[in-house]
Formats: sequence, C-alpha cells, structure tokens
Amino acid sequence: MVEMQKPTPSDLCWNAKFPPEQEWIERTVHVAVGNIWRHAHHFAHAQLGDDSMVPEIMEIAIDGTVSRLETGSPQSHEDVAVLLERLFLQEVRRRRNANNRLVYLGSDQELPNGSAQTPHAPIDSAIDLDRILHDIPPDVRIALLLRYSRSRWSEVAAVLGTTEAAIRLRCKRALDRIRQKMEGEIHEI
Amino acid sequence: MAENHSSPLDDDNDTLLFEKLQEHVLAHYPNPERKGCPDPAVLKSLVEAPGDVTLASLNDLHIFKCAECTRMLMELRQKKKHEASE
Repeated sequence: MVEMQKPTPSDLCWNAKFPPEQEWIERTVHVAVGNIWRHAHHFAHAQLGDDSMVPEIMEIAIDGTVSRLETGSPQSHEDVAVLLERLFLQEVRRRRNANNRLVYLGSDQELPNGSAQTPHAPIDSAIDLDRILHDIPPDVRIALLLRYSRSRWSEVAAVLGTTEAAIRLRCKRALDRIRQKMEGEIHEI
Repeated sequence: MAENHSSPLDDDNDTLLFEKLQEHVLAHYPNPERKGCPDPAVLKSLVEAPGDVTLASLNDLHIFKCAECTRMLMELRQKKKHEASE
C-alpha cells in the first residue's frame, strides 16, 4: 500500500499564486515557510490538538502574505517570515476560538467559566521564547548558557577571559529581550 | 555595573531574570524522551570545566528549550556547591 506523503513547504509554495513580475516574493516566502515550518506544527498541535491542518492553514497564510507583499516594496527574509508567521498564528487562533465556541449541550463546557483560552497561554510563551533566542550571535549564546549554568556574571567573564562589565554589555540586548518576555512573571513576585 | 542594570527589581547578576527563565523552561519545555539532549558528560563539563564546552556539543541553545537538561544542570550545580562547601 502506498502511504500518502505529507506536503512539504515546497509543495505549499508550488500551489500558491505568486506574481511573476515580483520574483523576490516567491523566493522570500519559500524561505519563510521553511523557517517557520517546525514552529507552525508545534503551535498548531498545542492550540488545536493536532497538526494535521498545518498545510491548509499555511496555504491561507501564504496567500495572505503574498497579497500584502505584492502591494509594497521588497522585504527582507526576516520580515517576510514575521509576516507569514503572524498570519499563520492568527488563522490558528481563529480556528481555535471557533472550536471553543462549539459547546455540546449537557457537557461541562456549558459552565460559564470564560477561561477557554487560558490553558494555551504557556504554549504561546514557549514559542515566543524560542523566537527571541533564535537570532543571537554565537558568543552571546555561549555566555548566556554559561550564566544559566552558574550564578554569577563574574564566573562567566572568568571563563571567557573578559570582564564582567564587557560580558554583560555584550549580552544586554538578549537579556533585555528575555526580560521583556518574562516581565509579566517577574512583576508577579 | 549600574549602567548595565536593566531592571530595578533585579540584582547585578540578573538573578531574578535567570531564575524566572529557569522556571519558564521547566514549565514549558518538557522533554521526557530527551530528544536532542547533549551527552550528560557535556552538561557536567558545562558546570565543572566550561572552557572545554562548545556550542555544537551543547546542541546550540537546546538547554533553553529542555526541562530535562535544565533539571540536570540544577542538580549538577547543587552538587558542585555542596562539594565546595565540604
């Protein structure tokens, strides 16, 4: 028996209608789909309970991305990935909310707790953290890993043969981004 | 150090931030099958002889996305602290 193969990012791009005169759109969207593909499956699985709808939702996100890009100037790979991911997540959330509105009579979902979306919030956070960390440079990565494995910047600086001030300054941008992500939780203390 | 200080709630070692990050990883990145985890010996080196460790051997930033590795690091750190105090 021949098993039907799951569509790949390339298959999805093959189905999309790209404007022939703007070749950069096809190129950047293709790269963007590959870049967010794993996150997309993770997110869909967390929000919808399985990832079987990813190809269909991704096609919708690709169409939305192409229509927005064809009216503007050329964008970088990163910007296109951000736009595509935003449209993908938007569509997943829309479907999740639509599913949450399907209430079976007599089930506990009739109870007016109003918190249908709450269990999904930690998953959103996890995905965001992954995104925050994905583009930091190698020396900052190793410094953050070292700081994560010990308790003082002075120890990290000693390992890397630099000063505490220098290593903190080098990591500042990444730390600010992580801090921003964690801000809500820190303020709860 | 003050010019680097990003939060009035935290100290110069960003202790609160890293504690929250650790809690975040423990809560949001379960990895019971230990997919992509570096060798336990590499984690041990990260705590005991960090100069020998490379990003590749750590599987890049995997630890920030793995509750199991984070838990093991916490244990190794605790063990090292305990040994140092003896």
